[in-house]
Amino acid sequence: MPLSEYQVVGRHLPTEAEPSPKIYRMRIFAPNEVVAKSRFWYFLRQLKKVKQASGEIIGVNVISEKKPLKVKNFGIWLRYDSRSGTHNMYKEFRELSRADAVKALYQDMAARHRARFRSIHILRVVEVEKTDDIRRPYIRQLLVPNLKFPLPHRVAKARSTFVAHRPTTF
Amino acid sequence: MPATESNFQRFVEVGRVVLLKSGPQEGHIAVIAEIIDHNRAIIDGPTTGVPRQAFPYRHLTLTPLRLTKLPRAAGSGAIKKALEKEAIVEKWEKSAFAQRRASIAKRRSLTDFQRFVVMVAKKQRADRVHKAVRAAKKA
Amino acid sequence: MARSKDLVPGVGRLSRSQVFARRGLFKGLKKTEKPAAAEVAPTKEVTVGGANNGSKRVVPTQKAPRFYPAEDVRQPKKSRKSPKPTKLRSSITPGTVLILLAGRFAGKRVVFLKQLDSGLLLVTGPYKVNGVPLRRVNQAYVIATSTQVELGDFKVDEKINDAYFAKASSKGKSSAEEEFFAEGKPKAKEAFPESKAADQKAVDSAIIAAVKKTEYLHKYLRASWGLSKGQYPHLLAF
Repeated sequence: MPLSEYQVVGRHLPTEAEPSPKIYRMRIFAPNEVVAKSRFWYFLRQLKKVKQASGEIIGVNVISEKKPLKVKNFGIWLRYDSRSGTHNMYKEFRELSRADAVKALYQDMAARHRARFRSIHILRVVEVEKTDDIRRPYIRQLLVPNLKFPLPHRVAKARSTFVAHRPTTF
Repeated sequence: MPATESNFQRFVEVGRVVLLKSGPQEGHIAVIAEIIDHNRAIIDGPTTGVPRQAFPYRHLTLTPLRLTKLPRAAGSGAIKKALEKEAIVEKWEKSAFAQRRASIAKRRSLTDFQRFVVMVAKKQRADRVHKAVRAAKKA
Repeated sequence: MARSKDLVPGVGRLSRSQVFARRGLFKGLKKTEKPAAAEVAPTKEVTVGGANNGSKRVVPTQKAPRFYPAEDVRQPKKSRKSPKPTKLRSSITPGTVLILLAGRFAGKRVVFLKQLDSGLLLVTGPYKVNGVPLRRVNQAYVIATSTQVELGDFKVDEKINDAYFAKASSKGKSSAEEEFFAEGKPKAKEAFPESKAADQKAVDSAIIAAVKKTEYLHKYLRASWGLSKGQYPHLLAF
Protein backbone atom coordinates (compact mmCIF):
# COMPACT_ATOMS: atom_id res chain seq x y z
CA MET A 1 0.00 0.00 0.00
CA PRO A 2 1.54 3.31 -0.98
CA LEU A 3 2.17 5.90 1.67
CA SER A 4 1.40 9.60 1.38
CA GLU A 5 2.78 12.49 3.31
CA TYR A 6 0.09 14.44 5.18
CA GLN A 7 0.13 17.76 6.93
CA VAL A 8 -2.19 17.49 9.91
CA VAL A 9 -3.12 20.62 11.89
CA GLY A 10 -4.94 20.46 15.21
CA ARG A 11 -5.36 22.05 18.61
CA HIS A 12 -6.93 21.72 22.05
CA LEU A 13 -10.60 22.75 22.13
CA PRO A 14 -10.99 26.36 23.32
CA THR A 15 -11.87 26.60 27.00
CA GLU A 16 -12.79 29.52 29.27
CA ALA A 17 -9.31 29.49 30.76
CA GLU A 18 -7.68 29.34 27.31
CA PRO A 19 -9.92 30.83 24.60
CA SER A 20 -7.29 30.60 21.85
CA PRO A 21 -5.21 27.41 22.34
CA LYS A 22 -1.94 26.80 20.57
CA ILE A 23 -2.16 25.25 17.09
CA TYR A 24 0.08 22.27 16.30
CA ARG A 25 1.14 21.08 12.87
CA MET A 26 2.76 17.77 11.99
CA ARG A 27 3.99 16.07 8.82
CA ILE A 28 2.89 12.48 8.96
CA PHE A 29 3.49 9.52 6.64
CA ALA A 30 0.41 7.35 6.48
CA PRO A 31 -1.48 5.18 4.01
CA ASN A 32 -4.61 7.34 4.27
CA GLU A 33 -6.16 10.33 6.00
CA VAL A 34 -7.75 8.36 8.81
CA VAL A 35 -4.46 6.81 9.84
CA ALA A 36 -2.77 10.22 9.49
CA LYS A 37 -5.18 11.82 11.96
CA SER A 38 -4.81 8.90 14.33
CA ARG A 39 -1.01 9.14 14.25
CA PHE A 40 -1.27 12.89 14.81
CA TRP A 41 -3.16 12.35 18.09
CA TYR A 42 -0.79 9.55 19.05
CA PHE A 43 2.26 11.80 18.77
CA LEU A 44 0.60 14.94 20.15
CA ARG A 45 -0.60 13.02 23.21
CA GLN A 46 2.98 12.05 23.95
CA LEU A 47 4.35 15.53 23.46
CA LYS A 48 1.66 17.88 24.82
CA LYS A 49 -1.26 17.72 27.22
CA VAL A 50 -3.81 17.41 24.42
CA LYS A 51 -5.78 14.34 23.43
CA GLN A 52 -8.37 13.48 20.84
CA ALA A 53 -11.31 13.72 23.27
CA SER A 54 -10.38 17.29 24.18
CA GLY A 55 -8.99 18.44 20.87
CA GLU A 56 -9.95 19.04 17.28
CA ILE A 57 -8.36 18.57 13.87
CA ILE A 58 -8.28 21.81 11.92
CA GLY A 59 -7.09 20.49 8.61
CA VAL A 60 -5.50 17.57 6.79
CA ASN A 61 -3.69 18.09 3.48
CA VAL A 62 -1.63 15.86 1.26
CA ILE A 63 1.88 17.13 0.66
CA SER A 64 2.85 16.08 -2.83
CA GLU A 65 6.38 15.76 -4.11
CA LYS A 66 7.70 18.81 -5.88
CA LYS A 67 9.82 16.94 -8.42
CA PRO A 68 8.53 13.38 -8.63
CA LEU A 69 10.83 12.46 -11.54
CA LYS A 70 14.11 13.54 -9.98
CA VAL A 71 16.16 10.89 -8.22
CA LYS A 72 17.05 12.04 -4.71
CA ASN A 73 18.97 10.62 -1.80
CA PHE A 74 17.11 10.76 1.49
CA GLY A 75 18.47 10.42 5.01
CA ILE A 76 15.92 9.21 7.52
CA TRP A 77 16.26 9.29 11.29
CA LEU A 78 13.98 6.93 13.12
CA ARG A 79 13.18 5.52 16.53
CA TYR A 80 12.41 1.86 16.69
CA ASP A 81 11.16 -0.34 19.52
CA SER A 82 12.74 -3.73 19.22
CA ARG A 83 11.77 -6.69 21.34
CA SER A 84 14.44 -5.80 23.90
CA GLY A 85 14.64 -2.03 23.84
CA THR A 86 14.42 1.22 21.93
CA HIS A 87 16.97 2.24 19.30
CA ASN A 88 17.63 5.29 17.23
CA MET A 89 18.73 4.76 13.69
CA TYR A 90 19.83 6.59 10.60
CA LYS A 91 19.28 5.10 7.16
CA GLU A 92 19.69 6.34 3.62
CA PHE A 93 17.47 5.68 0.62
CA ARG A 94 17.61 6.57 -3.06
CA GLU A 95 14.08 7.23 -4.26
CA LEU A 96 11.93 9.62 -6.22
CA SER A 97 9.87 11.04 -3.35
CA ARG A 98 9.87 11.42 0.41
CA ALA A 99 6.86 9.15 0.72
CA ASP A 100 8.56 6.47 -1.39
CA ALA A 101 11.65 6.69 0.79
CA VAL A 102 9.58 6.21 3.94
CA LYS A 103 7.76 3.29 2.34
CA ALA A 104 11.13 1.73 1.48
CA LEU A 105 12.21 2.32 5.08
CA TYR A 106 9.22 0.44 6.49
CA GLN A 107 9.93 -2.43 4.11
CA ASP A 108 13.59 -2.45 5.05
CA MET A 109 12.85 -2.43 8.79
CA ALA A 110 10.29 -5.18 8.36
CA ALA A 111 12.82 -7.27 6.44
CA ARG A 112 15.88 -6.77 8.61
CA HIS A 113 14.30 -6.44 12.03
CA ARG A 114 10.78 -7.80 11.65
CA ALA A 115 9.61 -4.38 12.82
CA ARG A 116 5.96 -3.44 12.44
CA PHE A 117 4.51 -0.06 11.50
CA ARG A 118 3.48 0.54 15.11
CA SER A 119 6.99 0.13 16.49
CA ILE A 120 8.64 2.70 14.21
CA HIS A 121 8.62 6.47 14.62
CA ILE A 122 9.87 8.54 11.73
CA LEU A 123 11.82 11.39 13.29
CA ARG A 124 13.17 13.27 10.32
CA VAL A 125 13.36 12.87 6.55
CA VAL A 126 15.99 15.00 4.83
CA GLU A 127 17.18 15.11 1.27
CA VAL A 128 20.97 14.78 1.14
CA GLU A 129 22.09 17.00 -1.67
CA LYS A 130 25.88 16.69 -1.60
CA THR A 131 27.51 13.38 -2.46
CA ASP A 132 30.13 13.93 0.24
CA ASP A 133 27.41 14.01 2.87
CA ILE A 134 26.24 10.51 2.01
CA ARG A 135 27.22 8.28 4.90
CA ARG A 136 26.20 4.83 3.82
CA PRO A 137 28.29 2.83 1.32
CA TYR A 138 25.24 1.15 -0.20
CA ILE A 139 24.06 4.52 -1.48
CA ARG A 140 27.53 5.91 -2.13
CA GLN A 141 28.30 3.12 -4.60
CA LEU A 142 25.49 4.37 -6.82
CA LEU A 143 26.91 7.87 -7.01
CA VAL A 144 30.22 7.17 -8.75
CA PRO A 145 30.66 8.89 -12.11
CA ASN A 146 30.03 6.75 -15.21
CA LEU A 147 28.30 4.08 -13.20
CA LYS A 148 27.63 0.93 -15.18
CA PHE A 149 26.90 -2.70 -14.42
CA PRO A 150 25.68 -5.72 -16.37
CA LEU A 151 22.56 -7.74 -15.65
CA PRO A 152 24.22 -11.14 -15.27
CA HIS A 153 21.38 -13.40 -14.19
CA ARG A 154 18.48 -13.02 -16.54
CA VAL A 155 15.95 -15.80 -16.20
CA ALA A 156 13.55 -16.09 -19.10
CA LYS A 157 10.01 -16.35 -17.85
CA ALA A 158 8.29 -19.66 -18.56
CA ARG A 159 5.28 -19.46 -20.85
CA SER A 160 3.02 -21.02 -18.28
CA THR A 161 3.05 -22.26 -14.71
CA PHE A 162 3.33 -25.86 -15.80
CA VAL A 163 5.99 -26.71 -18.36
CA ALA A 164 7.73 -29.93 -19.25
CA HIS A 165 11.26 -28.68 -18.66
CA ARG A 166 12.76 -26.85 -15.74
CA PRO A 167 14.16 -23.44 -16.70
CA THR A 168 17.90 -23.10 -16.98
CA THR A 169 19.00 -20.22 -14.82
CA PHE A 170 22.74 -20.13 -15.32
CA MET B 1 35.22 2.14 -14.20
CA PRO B 2 37.57 -0.83 -13.81
CA ALA B 3 40.48 -0.99 -16.20
CA THR B 4 39.94 -4.66 -17.03
CA GLU B 5 37.54 -5.42 -19.83
CA SER B 6 34.33 -7.18 -18.96
CA ASN B 7 32.98 -10.21 -20.76
CA PHE B 8 29.58 -8.61 -20.81
CA GLN B 9 28.50 -6.63 -23.85
CA ARG B 10 25.51 -4.70 -22.56
CA PHE B 11 25.45 -2.69 -19.40
CA VAL B 12 22.97 -0.76 -17.40
CA GLU B 13 24.32 2.74 -17.90
CA VAL B 14 23.10 6.20 -18.67
CA GLY B 15 22.26 6.38 -22.37
CA ARG B 16 21.60 2.66 -22.83
CA VAL B 17 18.70 1.96 -25.17
CA VAL B 18 16.29 -0.52 -23.64
CA LEU B 19 13.29 -2.48 -24.90
CA LEU B 20 10.20 -2.55 -22.69
CA LYS B 21 8.89 -6.02 -21.98
CA SER B 22 5.69 -5.14 -20.15
CA GLY B 23 3.33 -2.31 -19.36
CA PRO B 24 1.28 -0.14 -21.69
CA GLN B 25 4.35 0.70 -23.82
CA GLU B 26 5.35 -2.94 -24.24
CA GLY B 27 7.57 -3.39 -27.29
CA HIS B 28 8.66 0.24 -27.46
CA ILE B 29 12.24 1.37 -26.91
CA ALA B 30 13.46 3.99 -24.45
CA VAL B 31 16.70 5.35 -23.02
CA ILE B 32 18.03 5.04 -19.49
CA ALA B 33 18.23 8.62 -18.21
CA GLU B 34 19.40 7.86 -14.71
CA ILE B 35 20.06 4.82 -12.58
CA ILE B 36 18.03 4.76 -9.38
CA ASP B 37 19.43 1.59 -7.82
CA HIS B 38 20.11 -2.06 -8.57
CA ASN B 39 16.53 -2.70 -9.51
CA ARG B 40 15.21 0.39 -11.23
CA ALA B 41 16.17 3.19 -13.55
CA ILE B 42 14.49 6.28 -14.92
CA ILE B 43 13.73 5.71 -18.58
CA ASP B 44 12.51 8.14 -21.17
CA GLY B 45 11.51 7.87 -24.81
CA PRO B 46 10.44 11.29 -26.08
CA THR B 47 10.44 10.11 -29.71
CA THR B 48 9.10 6.60 -29.09
CA GLY B 49 6.02 7.41 -27.05
CA VAL B 50 7.39 6.31 -23.68
CA PRO B 51 6.81 8.88 -20.93
CA ARG B 52 9.58 9.51 -18.42
CA GLN B 53 9.16 7.05 -15.58
CA ALA B 54 10.89 4.75 -13.13
CA PHE B 55 11.07 1.23 -14.55
CA PRO B 56 12.41 -2.04 -13.11
CA TYR B 57 15.16 -3.86 -15.03
CA ARG B 58 13.11 -7.03 -14.60
CA HIS B 59 10.74 -5.74 -17.28
CA LEU B 60 13.42 -4.37 -19.58
CA THR B 61 15.76 -5.88 -22.12
CA LEU B 62 19.08 -4.15 -22.74
CA THR B 63 19.80 -3.59 -26.44
CA PRO B 64 23.26 -3.28 -27.99
CA LEU B 65 22.55 0.39 -28.79
CA ARG B 66 23.50 3.29 -26.59
CA LEU B 67 23.61 7.04 -26.73
CA THR B 68 27.17 8.25 -26.35
CA LYS B 69 27.90 11.12 -24.05
CA LEU B 70 24.44 11.48 -22.59
CA PRO B 71 24.88 13.35 -19.28
CA ARG B 72 23.37 11.87 -16.13
CA ALA B 73 19.74 12.86 -15.49
CA ALA B 74 19.36 14.61 -18.83
CA GLY B 75 15.91 16.06 -19.46
CA SER B 76 13.45 14.90 -22.10
CA GLY B 77 14.52 17.71 -24.46
CA ALA B 78 18.19 16.79 -24.31
CA ILE B 79 17.41 13.11 -24.80
CA LYS B 80 15.21 13.90 -27.77
CA LYS B 81 17.99 15.90 -29.38
CA ALA B 82 20.53 13.16 -28.76
CA LEU B 83 18.17 10.49 -30.10
CA GLU B 84 17.60 12.43 -33.28
CA LYS B 85 21.25 13.28 -33.72
CA GLU B 86 22.43 9.71 -33.42
CA ALA B 87 19.38 8.39 -35.35
CA ILE B 88 18.84 5.74 -32.72
CA VAL B 89 15.28 4.89 -33.76
CA GLU B 90 16.38 4.27 -37.36
CA LYS B 91 19.35 2.20 -36.17
CA TRP B 92 17.01 0.19 -33.99
CA GLU B 93 14.56 -0.45 -36.78
CA LYS B 94 17.38 -1.60 -39.05
CA SER B 95 18.89 -3.91 -36.44
CA ALA B 96 18.44 -7.67 -36.79
CA PHE B 97 16.89 -7.70 -33.31
CA ALA B 98 14.08 -5.35 -34.28
CA GLN B 99 13.56 -6.92 -37.68
CA ARG B 100 13.26 -10.37 -36.20
CA ARG B 101 10.67 -9.04 -33.73
CA ALA B 102 8.77 -7.37 -36.55
CA SER B 103 8.75 -10.50 -38.67
CA ILE B 104 7.55 -12.62 -35.76
CA ALA B 105 4.75 -10.13 -35.13
CA LYS B 106 3.88 -10.14 -38.81
CA ARG B 107 3.76 -13.94 -38.95
CA ARG B 108 1.59 -13.99 -35.88
CA SER B 109 -0.92 -11.60 -37.41
CA LEU B 110 -1.39 -13.58 -40.62
CA THR B 111 -4.83 -14.98 -41.33
CA ASP B 112 -5.49 -18.61 -42.15
CA PHE B 113 -5.50 -17.94 -45.90
CA GLN B 114 -2.30 -15.91 -45.75
CA ARG B 115 -0.60 -18.70 -43.79
CA PHE B 116 -1.66 -21.07 -46.55
CA VAL B 117 -0.21 -18.80 -49.24
CA VAL B 118 3.07 -18.62 -47.31
CA MET B 119 3.15 -22.40 -47.10
CA VAL B 120 2.63 -22.69 -50.85
CA ALA B 121 5.35 -20.11 -51.54
CA LYS B 122 7.79 -21.99 -49.32
CA LYS B 123 7.09 -25.22 -51.17
CA GLN B 124 7.68 -23.52 -54.50
CA ARG B 125 10.99 -22.11 -53.28
CA ALA B 126 12.10 -25.49 -51.99
CA ASP B 127 11.14 -27.08 -55.29
CA ARG B 128 13.23 -24.63 -57.28
CA VAL B 129 16.19 -25.09 -54.97
CA HIS B 130 16.04 -28.84 -55.27
CA LYS B 131 15.85 -28.67 -59.03
CA ALA B 132 18.79 -26.30 -59.22
CA VAL B 133 20.85 -28.50 -56.92
CA ARG B 134 20.09 -31.56 -58.98
CA ALA B 135 21.03 -29.78 -62.18
CA ALA B 136 24.28 -28.56 -60.63
CA LYS B 137 25.18 -32.07 -59.47
CA LYS B 138 24.75 -33.51 -62.93
CA ALA B 139 26.89 -30.88 -64.54
CA MET C 1 -50.86 -29.62 -15.95
CA ALA C 2 -53.76 -31.99 -16.09
CA ARG C 3 -51.55 -35.06 -15.77
CA SER C 4 -49.76 -33.81 -12.73
CA LYS C 5 -52.35 -33.23 -10.07
CA ASP C 6 -51.28 -30.84 -7.42
CA LEU C 7 -49.91 -32.30 -4.23
CA VAL C 8 -50.23 -28.86 -2.72
CA PRO C 9 -50.96 -25.74 -4.75
CA GLY C 10 -47.96 -25.07 -6.94
CA VAL C 11 -46.29 -28.47 -6.50
CA GLY C 12 -47.20 -31.20 -8.92
CA ARG C 13 -47.40 -34.91 -8.18
CA LEU C 14 -45.13 -35.76 -11.10
CA SER C 15 -41.64 -34.62 -11.86
CA ARG C 16 -40.84 -32.57 -14.92
CA SER C 17 -39.52 -35.59 -16.82
CA GLN C 18 -42.51 -37.71 -15.86
CA VAL C 19 -44.83 -35.04 -17.15
CA PHE C 20 -42.80 -34.87 -20.34
CA ALA C 21 -43.04 -38.62 -20.80
CA ARG C 22 -46.79 -38.65 -20.24
CA ARG C 23 -47.52 -35.71 -22.45
CA GLY C 24 -45.84 -37.56 -25.23
CA LEU C 25 -44.75 -34.47 -27.09
CA PHE C 26 -41.68 -36.33 -28.29
CA LYS C 27 -43.97 -38.31 -30.52
CA GLY C 28 -44.29 -35.21 -32.63
CA LEU C 29 -47.02 -32.79 -33.36
CA LYS C 30 -50.48 -34.00 -34.19
CA LYS C 31 -50.87 -33.94 -37.92
CA THR C 32 -54.62 -34.22 -38.22
CA GLU C 33 -57.00 -31.67 -36.86
CA LYS C 34 -60.35 -32.54 -35.38
CA PRO C 35 -63.32 -31.20 -37.29
CA ALA C 36 -64.58 -28.12 -35.54
CA ALA C 37 -67.45 -28.95 -33.21
CA ALA C 38 -70.75 -27.67 -34.45
CA GLU C 39 -71.87 -24.54 -32.69
CA VAL C 40 -74.48 -25.30 -30.10
CA ALA C 41 -76.88 -22.60 -29.08
CA PRO C 42 -76.54 -21.78 -25.38
CA THR C 43 -80.26 -22.06 -24.78
CA LYS C 44 -83.11 -24.08 -26.17
CA GLU C 45 -86.81 -24.13 -25.87
CA VAL C 46 -88.53 -27.09 -24.38
CA THR C 47 -92.15 -27.86 -23.98
CA VAL C 48 -93.26 -28.47 -20.48
CA GLY C 49 -96.41 -30.08 -19.21
CA GLY C 50 -98.78 -28.59 -16.73
CA ALA C 51 -101.52 -26.16 -17.45
CA ASN C 52 -100.06 -23.31 -15.50
CA ASN C 53 -96.56 -23.64 -16.81
CA GLY C 54 -97.02 -21.78 -20.09
CA SER C 55 -96.20 -24.92 -22.14
CA LYS C 56 -92.85 -23.55 -23.34
CA ARG C 57 -89.73 -22.56 -21.49
CA VAL C 58 -86.19 -21.46 -22.42
CA VAL C 59 -83.58 -23.58 -20.67
CA PRO C 60 -79.77 -23.77 -21.05
CA THR C 61 -78.58 -26.47 -23.36
CA GLN C 62 -76.06 -27.68 -20.84
CA LYS C 63 -76.98 -27.76 -17.23
CA ALA C 64 -74.83 -25.81 -14.84
CA PRO C 65 -72.68 -28.22 -12.84
CA ARG C 66 -74.07 -29.41 -9.54
CA PHE C 67 -70.71 -29.31 -7.94
CA TYR C 68 -68.51 -26.30 -7.46
CA PRO C 69 -65.03 -26.78 -6.01
CA ALA C 70 -64.88 -25.17 -2.59
CA GLU C 71 -61.18 -24.52 -2.78
CA ASP C 72 -59.60 -22.39 -5.44
CA VAL C 73 -56.92 -24.25 -7.33
CA ARG C 74 -54.35 -22.01 -8.80
CA GLN C 75 -54.19 -21.95 -12.55
CA PRO C 76 -50.69 -22.48 -13.79
CA LYS C 77 -49.28 -19.46 -15.54
CA LYS C 78 -49.15 -19.63 -19.26
CA SER C 79 -45.65 -19.20 -20.56
CA ARG C 80 -45.35 -16.33 -22.94
CA LYS C 81 -41.76 -17.08 -23.80
CA SER C 82 -40.90 -18.10 -27.30
CA PRO C 83 -37.50 -19.13 -28.60
CA LYS C 84 -35.57 -16.33 -30.23
CA PRO C 85 -34.15 -16.84 -33.71
CA THR C 86 -30.52 -17.92 -33.62
CA LYS C 87 -28.14 -15.02 -33.88
CA LEU C 88 -25.60 -15.33 -36.65
CA ARG C 89 -22.04 -14.66 -35.51
CA SER C 90 -20.99 -11.25 -36.75
CA SER C 91 -17.86 -12.71 -38.37
CA ILE C 92 -19.97 -14.88 -40.66
CA THR C 93 -21.44 -13.26 -43.77
CA PRO C 94 -22.39 -14.85 -47.10
CA GLY C 95 -19.14 -15.82 -48.82
CA THR C 96 -17.12 -16.31 -45.63
CA VAL C 97 -14.79 -19.29 -45.67
CA LEU C 98 -15.52 -21.49 -42.67
CA ILE C 99 -13.50 -24.31 -41.18
CA LEU C 100 -15.64 -27.26 -40.14
CA LEU C 101 -14.65 -28.73 -36.79
CA ALA C 102 -16.97 -31.67 -36.33
CA GLY C 103 -18.69 -34.36 -38.27
CA ARG C 104 -17.83 -36.22 -41.40
CA PHE C 105 -16.18 -33.20 -43.03
CA ALA C 106 -14.17 -31.99 -40.02
CA GLY C 107 -11.11 -30.03 -41.12
CA LYS C 108 -12.58 -28.97 -44.45
CA ARG C 109 -12.73 -25.39 -45.52
CA VAL C 110 -16.14 -24.50 -46.95
CA VAL C 111 -18.03 -21.45 -48.19
CA PHE C 112 -20.95 -20.09 -46.20
CA LEU C 113 -24.08 -19.34 -48.23
CA LYS C 114 -26.86 -18.33 -45.86
CA GLN C 115 -28.46 -18.97 -42.52
CA LEU C 116 -31.58 -21.11 -42.57
CA ASP C 117 -34.67 -20.52 -40.44
CA SER C 118 -33.62 -23.25 -38.03
CA GLY C 119 -30.45 -21.26 -37.28
CA LEU C 120 -28.19 -23.75 -39.06
CA LEU C 121 -25.71 -22.52 -41.63
CA LEU C 122 -26.00 -23.55 -45.24
CA VAL C 123 -22.55 -24.29 -46.62
CA THR C 124 -21.03 -25.83 -49.70
CA GLY C 125 -17.54 -27.10 -50.40
CA PRO C 126 -18.01 -26.45 -53.36
CA TYR C 127 -18.53 -30.17 -54.02
CA LYS C 128 -16.31 -30.12 -57.07
CA VAL C 129 -13.44 -28.58 -55.09
CA ASN C 130 -13.28 -30.52 -51.85
CA GLY C 131 -16.19 -32.95 -51.85
CA VAL C 132 -18.38 -31.14 -49.35
CA PRO C 133 -21.94 -31.01 -50.70
CA LEU C 134 -24.64 -28.49 -49.86
CA ARG C 135 -24.95 -29.09 -46.16
CA ARG C 136 -26.30 -27.65 -42.97
CA VAL C 137 -23.92 -27.09 -40.06
CA ASN C 138 -24.23 -25.62 -36.59
CA GLN C 139 -22.26 -22.43 -36.21
CA ALA C 140 -20.88 -23.65 -32.88
CA TYR C 141 -18.82 -26.25 -34.72
CA VAL C 142 -17.22 -23.86 -37.12
CA ILE C 143 -14.29 -21.44 -37.17
CA ALA C 144 -15.04 -18.31 -39.16
CA THR C 145 -12.01 -17.10 -41.10
CA SER C 146 -11.54 -13.55 -42.34
CA THR C 147 -11.24 -14.84 -45.91
CA GLN C 148 -14.17 -13.94 -48.14
CA VAL C 149 -15.29 -15.30 -51.47
CA GLU C 150 -16.80 -12.38 -53.38
CA LEU C 151 -20.26 -13.66 -54.18
CA GLY C 152 -21.59 -10.32 -55.39
CA ASP C 153 -25.37 -10.44 -55.65
CA PHE C 154 -25.52 -14.20 -55.84
CA LYS C 155 -28.60 -15.57 -54.05
CA VAL C 156 -29.23 -19.16 -53.09
CA ASP C 157 -32.45 -20.56 -54.48
CA GLU C 158 -35.32 -20.19 -51.99
CA LYS C 159 -36.20 -23.86 -52.34
CA ILE C 160 -33.05 -24.83 -50.49
CA ASN C 161 -34.38 -24.58 -46.96
CA ASP C 162 -34.65 -26.84 -43.95
CA ALA C 163 -37.35 -28.91 -45.57
CA TYR C 164 -35.05 -29.54 -48.55
CA PHE C 165 -32.72 -31.50 -46.28
CA ALA C 166 -35.45 -33.50 -44.55
CA LYS C 167 -35.30 -37.25 -44.96
CA ALA C 168 -37.84 -38.60 -47.41
CA SER C 169 -40.42 -40.54 -45.44
CA SER C 170 -39.77 -44.18 -46.30
CA LYS C 171 -42.66 -46.38 -47.24
CA GLY C 172 -43.40 -49.01 -44.61
CA LYS C 173 -40.91 -51.62 -45.63
CA SER C 174 -41.95 -55.23 -46.05
CA SER C 175 -42.41 -57.63 -43.21
CA ALA C 176 -40.04 -58.17 -40.33
CA GLU C 177 -39.45 -61.65 -41.61
CA GLU C 178 -38.17 -60.46 -44.91
CA GLU C 179 -35.88 -57.99 -43.23
CA PHE C 180 -34.55 -60.69 -40.91
CA PHE C 181 -33.50 -62.87 -43.77
CA ALA C 182 -32.14 -59.96 -45.76
CA GLU C 183 -29.49 -59.33 -43.09
CA GLY C 184 -25.97 -59.72 -44.30
CA LYS C 185 -26.89 -59.08 -47.88
CA PRO C 186 -25.89 -55.67 -49.11
CA LYS C 187 -28.85 -53.36 -49.36
CA ALA C 188 -29.60 -51.81 -52.64
CA LYS C 189 -28.11 -48.33 -52.61
CA GLU C 190 -30.45 -45.57 -53.53
CA ALA C 191 -29.25 -43.30 -56.26
CA PHE C 192 -28.64 -39.66 -55.37
CA PRO C 193 -31.66 -37.74 -56.63
CA GLU C 194 -30.84 -36.02 -59.86
CA SER C 195 -32.67 -32.84 -58.98
CA LYS C 196 -30.41 -32.39 -55.96
CA ALA C 197 -27.30 -33.01 -58.02
CA ALA C 198 -28.51 -30.34 -60.42
CA ASP C 199 -29.09 -27.92 -57.52
CA GLN C 200 -25.56 -28.59 -56.27
CA LYS C 201 -24.14 -27.84 -59.70
CA ALA C 202 -26.15 -24.69 -60.08
CA VAL C 203 -24.93 -23.28 -56.74
CA ASP C 204 -21.34 -24.40 -57.19
CA SER C 205 -20.90 -22.98 -60.66
CA ALA C 206 -21.42 -19.45 -59.36
CA ILE C 207 -19.13 -19.97 -56.38
CA ILE C 208 -16.33 -21.62 -58.32
CA ALA C 209 -16.37 -18.71 -60.74
CA ALA C 210 -15.93 -16.35 -57.79
CA VAL C 211 -13.21 -18.51 -56.23
CA LYS C 212 -11.15 -18.44 -59.41
CA LYS C 213 -10.82 -14.68 -59.21
CA THR C 214 -8.43 -14.93 -56.26
CA GLU C 215 -5.12 -16.71 -56.69
CA TYR C 216 -4.56 -19.77 -54.49
CA LEU C 217 -8.12 -19.61 -53.16
CA HIS C 218 -9.08 -22.74 -55.05
CA LYS C 219 -6.09 -24.59 -53.63
CA TYR C 220 -6.87 -23.20 -50.20
CA LEU C 221 -10.42 -24.61 -50.23
CA ARG C 222 -9.07 -27.91 -51.47
CA ALA C 223 -6.60 -28.25 -48.64
CA SER C 224 -7.79 -29.32 -45.24
CA TRP C 225 -7.02 -27.51 -42.05
CA GLY C 226 -5.19 -28.76 -38.97
CA LEU C 227 -3.04 -27.70 -36.08
CA SER C 228 0.66 -28.47 -35.94
CA LYS C 229 2.95 -28.50 -32.95
CA GLY C 230 3.11 -25.25 -31.05
CA GLN C 231 -0.04 -23.87 -32.65
CA TYR C 232 -2.83 -22.92 -30.31
CA PRO C 233 -6.14 -21.99 -31.89
CA HIS C 234 -6.85 -19.24 -29.37
CA LEU C 235 -3.56 -17.55 -30.27
CA LEU C 236 -3.99 -17.79 -34.02
CA ALA C 237 -5.57 -15.19 -36.21
CA PHE C 238 -8.06 -16.61 -38.64
